[in-house]
Amino acid sequence: MPADLLELKGMIEAALPGSTAAVIDETGTGDHLRAEVKAPQFEGLTRINQHRLVKAAVRSRFDDGTIHALTIKVIE
Amino acid sequence: MADQELTDRVQELISENPVLLFMKGTPEAPRCGFSMRTVQVLDTMGVEYGAIDVLPALQPLREVTSEISDWETFPQLYVKGELLGGADIVEEMAASGELATALGVEQPETAEVPESASELPAQSPPLKIEGS
Repeated sequence: MPADLLELKGMIEAALPGSTAAVIDETGTGDHLRAEVKAPQFEGLTRINQHRLVKAAVRSRFDDGTIHALTIKVIE
Repeated sequence: MADQELTDRVQELISENPVLLFMKGTPEAPRCGFSMRTVQVLDTMGVEYGAIDVLPALQPLREVTSEISDWETFPQLYVKGELLGGADIVEEMAASGELATALGVEQPETAEVPESASELPAQSPPLKIEGS
């Protein structure tokens, strides 16, 4: 089943209060996605830890196979 | 639960190699676009690095890195025992100069500010304060 982009946006924004996320389907196949996220929680974190926060928010969709790849772009 | 022997071996490799890349394929023959991009970035940095091909044991290694670094996808670049990230993070850090800093090398010339732009403008004379 293709990923629900709005659901993923909602999962990220719910996990990181005050954040704004945009989730884009890069290949049109629904499983290789790009998330652009701006979040106050990123302040002072290393890039890998910023990415870990976003991945953790949508982990259940990785685990159930909905998403195979998620490119994360942190918006300063 | 990851294999303990493999976990120990991976941790040993990470601590023994100041710059270590877990990748799909080899630096000479990468088998994945993300691994290839990471190799290209490392090559522009001019550092020596160790490279481990994860393909022969992909799933067991995923389990190991998931436990020790909370990261399941490859490539993974470790510098001084710390996971910096995969291709996207490594490229962003290369562009910003963070990677050169982490590796302890000069930022390669392609990313440097042109010399003319770093020259200070001629100083104007200090303002004179009247009436003091």
